Amino acid sequence: MTAYRLASGGVIDRSSTLSFKFDGRAMKGHPGDTLASALLANDQLLVGRSFKYHRPRGIVTAGPSEPNALVTIGEGAATDPNTKATVAELYAGLDARSQNRWPSLKHDIGALNGLLSPFLSAGFYYKTFMWPAAFWEKVYEPLIRRAAGLGRTVLEHDPHSYEKCWAHCDLLVVGAGPTGLMAALTAGRAGLRVILADEDFRLGGSLLAETTRIDHRPAMDFAEACLAELRALPHVTIMPRTTVFGWYDDNVFGAVERVQKHVVAPQAKLPVERLWRIVAKRALLATGAEERPLVFGGNDRPGVMMAGAMRTYANRFGVAAGRSVAIFTNGSAGYGTASDLAAHEIEVAAIIDSRDAPLDAAPAGVRVIPSASVIDTRGRQRVCGLVVERAGFEETIACDAIGMSGGWNPVIHLACQRGAKAVWSPELSTFLAPDLGSGLVVAGSAAGRYSLGGCLEDGAERAARIAADLGFSTASNPLPAVGEEVDPSFTALWYSPGAKAKAFVDFQNDVHVKDLGLALREGFGHVEHAKRYTTTGMATDQGKLSAINATGLLAGMQGISPADVGTTTFRPFYTPVAFGALAGTSRDEHAAPVRKSPLYGWAEKNGAAFVDSGLWYRPAFFARHGEKTWRDSTDREVVNVRQHVGLCDVSTLGKIEIFGPDAAEFLNRLYCNPFLKLPVGKARYGLMLREDGIAYDDGTTSRLSPQHFVMTTTTALAGGVMSHLEYCAQVVWPELKVRFCSSTDQWAQMAIAGPKSRLVLQALVEDDVSDAAFPFLSAAVVTLKGGLNARLFRISFSGELAYELAVPAGLGEAVADAIMEEGRGHGICAYGLEALNVLRIEKGHVTHAEFDGRVTPDDAGFGRMVSAQKTDFIGKRLSTRYGLTAADRMQMVGLKPVETDQHIRAGAHLLREGAKASTLNDQGYVSSACYSPTLGHDIALAFLKSGRERYGERVVVWDKLSGGDTVAEICHPVFVDPGNTRLKV
Amino acid sequence: MASLIHCPHCGVRPSQEFSIRGDASVVRPAPEASDEAWHEYVHIRSNPHGRHREHWQHVAGCRRGLVVERDTFTHDVFSVTDGAAVAREGGR
Amino acid sequence: MTKTYISRHPLEGRIPLEPGIRAVDHLEVPRRQAIVTVMAADGEDTAVAAVLATMSEPSLRCVGPGEWLVVSQSETPEGLQRSLALVLAETAYVLDQSDGRIVLRLSGPNVRRILAKGVAIDLHPSVFGLGAASNLLCGHVNVNLARTGENEFELIVMRSLAESLFDDLRLMGREFDLSADFSG
Repeated sequence: MTAYRLASGGVIDRSSTLSFKFDGRAMKGHPGDTLASALLANDQLLVGRSFKYHRPRGIVTAGPSEPNALVTIGEGAATDPNTKATVAELYAGLDARSQNRWPSLKHDIGALNGLLSPFLSAGFYYKTFMWPAAFWEKVYEPLIRRAAGLGRTVLEHDPHSYEKCWAHCDLLVVGAGPTGLMAALTAGRAGLRVILADEDFRLGGSLLAETTRIDHRPAMDFAEACLAELRALPHVTIMPRTTVFGWYDDNVFGAVERVQKHVVAPQAKLPVERLWRIVAKRALLATGAEERPLVFGGNDRPGVMMAGAMRTYANRFGVAAGRSVAIFTNGSAGYGTASDLAAHEIEVAAIIDSRDAPLDAAPAGVRVIPSASVIDTRGRQRVCGLVVERAGFEETIACDAIGMSGGWNPVIHLACQRGAKAVWSPELSTFLAPDLGSGLVVAGSAAGRYSLGGCLEDGAERAARIAADLGFSTASNPLPAVGEEVDPSFTALWYSPGAKAKAFVDFQNDVHVKDLGLALREGFGHVEHAKRYTTTGMATDQGKLSAINATGLLAGMQGISPADVGTTTFRPFYTPVAFGALAGTSRDEHAAPVRKSPLYGWAEKNGAAFVDSGLWYRPAFFARHGEKTWRDSTDREVVNVRQHVGLCDVSTLGKIEIFGPDAAEFLNRLYCNPFLKLPVGKARYGLMLREDGIAYDDGTTSRLSPQHFVMTTTTALAGGVMSHLEYCAQVVWPELKVRFCSSTDQWAQMAIAGPKSRLVLQALVEDDVSDAAFPFLSAAVVTLKGGLNARLFRISFSGELAYELAVPAGLGEAVADAIMEEGRGHGICAYGLEALNVLRIEKGHVTHAEFDGRVTPDDAGFGRMVSAQKTDFIGKRLSTRYGLTAADRMQMVGLKPVETDQHIRAGAHLLREGAKASTLNDQGYVSSACYSPTLGHDIALAFLKSGRERYGERVVVWDKLSGGDTVAEICHPVFVDPGNTRLKV
Repeated sequence: MASLIHCPHCGVRPSQEFSIRGDASVVRPAPEASDEAWHEYVHIRSNPHGRHREHWQHVAGCRRGLVVERDTFTHDVFSVTDGAAVAREGGR
Repeated sequence: MTKTYISRHPLEGRIPLEPGIRAVDHLEVPRRQAIVTVMAADGEDTAVAAVLATMSEPSLRCVGPGEWLVVSQSETPEGLQRSLALVLAETAYVLDQSDGRIVLRLSGPNVRRILAKGVAIDLHPSVFGLGAASNLLCGHVNVNLARTGENEFELIVMRSLAESLFDDLRLMGREFDLSADFSG
């Protein structure tokens, strides 16, 4: 038994002991303890240092609003900083460390800041670190960063796993205290699908610390009975350790479940945390009320604690917050705590009451000092006394803990997250949730009904109303009988006058009363300005304790009502949520899906190096033995295609099958060039524009039957083009009789290119593929030897004699293997994206490197292709506007270096020879560049002002990113076989 | 986290299943319409604070273009209708 | 040269996970199935729906207005395409997707808890009834999800994404020791 653990009481399992460590010191606790209750039981009140002045700080609360007791748990990559000890469930082997102290918690050098405090007033950073500007980056910021901040994050890969999950219910009940339990029971009994979520590891809320009896038995037993009944109801889901942190549009709630935060070695098959998105028809907020701290001199000394927290530590955890406790209160709740402490035989040194004539009964023998103010506290790392002022007389009272009770604040965070402003209640001296419509209902203490009986009644009543709204009928069950309870009334006290020491408002961020006064004097009196100027409410606790007092003080200083000051804006998250939980499983190899071509296996066994291309993995090149760089492989592949034959996987191109009597008309309106009269069995290059006249996407489209076309798109825009077609068919021209569907995944498609491609192909295909029988731009269904049907297109991106063969995806690898085998005697090679790119640049074929969203068909040399006859197509009207037809537009040209050993890189800008490098002198840019093994030097495609008139001229290729300038000659963009003789053989 | 759209074909779905194309109140002019009409159609968009009609495509569902009438400030959704049905009635 | 080409399933190499082990929650992958897209011609949505509803063996998966996936375990792709073309004649366009789509069949007592990790819609038996099917997102991947049994669902996914979806489903099911194997 430790010094502060009471001999009996609490819902902890005293039969079992848990060993844990704090700052390396071995300690013991029991199952059912939080880290904070165990620390208190071990006489470890001092748990951290404050943010700015590094003042020693102790545990203040017994719940999620804790500003001080932030610790780091775990080691190495599994480190969790800023964990609130007041909610962290104790487990055997837990290893916690204090934060924001150096070299140790007891002796902290940063505490010198406290001596400098006259200079560290509100707005200090804004005023001090302004000059000289050069100092900011090198001196001020590193200094502030070292001094400031609480826990430190770790940059190692988080070894834990997380996941996300959806849930659906008729009623979500947030909070499993008296209100939530009654609401869940009422709705559950009526047959609603209910989710009851509570952030605590033990459900019951305030009932766990309650001494009032319900139905003639202890409140904890009542809570257990409710939970037992709820567990037996099939439609009710109980979610402990689950914080509902956000209320989003359409009644979607975000929640995080701590699945394995309370175990020393998490099971691999379970996440440590699970993020829930709960779609709730209705929700009931039963989050209770938070006790309000009092603002008095020296109120941040370790040992000053919320009175209610002391009650919780005693009643729920069997822990005494001190041996001799003084209570400072402005209402009846302080007396309730005093009685409970006295019942546990903890000495109550005095009750200091700010009210003039309190009627409350103090425990026998306890001195009550009415009309009094606490003006200072004594002690260093633990309080040893307080100074009371009454009617001008000061008195020091010895004590080792001070409980403060300043009234009640309903926890309405969630209710205000979607823009509705909290409403001031003069009767209750607090802010209440506004009317929120039917989606979210606030009940019990969260709605200002603080009494236990009121909570039970309110939870039951409101849940019954929701059930009736949703069409369920509820049987009327008698409400539980509640014994004698403490009166929750209080008289608001924003500031205890006469402070002889700093009176803190925000403990975590070290904001005291004078800071707020300064903010007001300097013109930052608006509550949102004061928050940012003083940083009150900006710490990790987000002002859960401090915000109301800041509002009250700002109101008092200006002589206005808190209603006129208002609250700062509530936003998700209610409490901090780990990034890991928000990411869920979407990390590492699960961050984005991977698309694999049906020829992936073929490419892999042929030695492909893969490259990301959107979601696809595509072969970049196929390295052979002895090749040292990607260029070695690429150059060989290019030469091999030009001289012999190559096989390339083009399955990733988008394929859309278009059907219907208006299919041809539809295509004719989509492409800028004509498609109406494309004969069956023919393929045609098609160019799509955007409605603003700029080139959008291109590809070949073939007519397989009068009412059936197959369109190909680029890999990159396959999805975009599909959506574009859908928009056009559904919204722009709903009158067209056309249907279409993607078949991208159905086909494995191979380009077989090179002078020997026909020899290879003919060996595998029954049909005649000679130039006479199957000329350039033919498209047909053919039969492979053995009977397999395939699609064959005579199209060429490389400029060589070439075919594209499409077979059902499952057979792709087998067919590609057969082609490679058949082609071995003809010197076939597999070629990848890099070689494909070189081949097309040599032929002046465009890709999205050219069609980059700024280029018109004419810019790229397709001007004559754009139909003047068609009455309409997407982009027709705006393609003729002046800006798109001006004579000095940049036009696509070829570039070759004058000195053939010099290089050109994509992205370089073009300048006239001798011109200064400036935006004004910019003549254009290089869109694609490569080394051409066919020509033996670099070549490039570029866009150059009036480029087509300037063949033979020289320009400077200005490239400051990767080397010097290169002088290049402007030429026609087709470098190889400009007469297209090779592809029509 | 999510907001929900009631697709007339698929039921209630999270907004992640949709892609937003923009203003649904503009109607593509006839080919012979004035330059001004075309310029308005392609380039000019109002950015209303409040009620607005937008094209949302249910890309991960039925792939239909939908007209979603919603409040751009509160994200209250007033109606969701099939885009083709709206277009056949003349766009509005 | 006459060749017989052998079809390859994209999950070869991924499954079976541990041969012979079958957990209560199981992912079954048919090696081969016939899947056909049916698109009603203009104005024929109702007529096509009525015809498809009368067909017995192949099961029908709603994709969107006037569009369905028809799945058959017994017919060949060609056979299914032929029989559909025959009964639907001019009222619909029929397109073979048997190689472009992969079927993953998930069954077991925890199947809804597994799917809830990727699927946003309410799969409660009273909401997503037997025979219900819809296109939706499972995590990052578009699928067609159908309820094919009391505690059995089928996911149809694009072939290129089958490995990613399979890996995701394994991750979603690890809590329940989900097993996986080919069937048939």
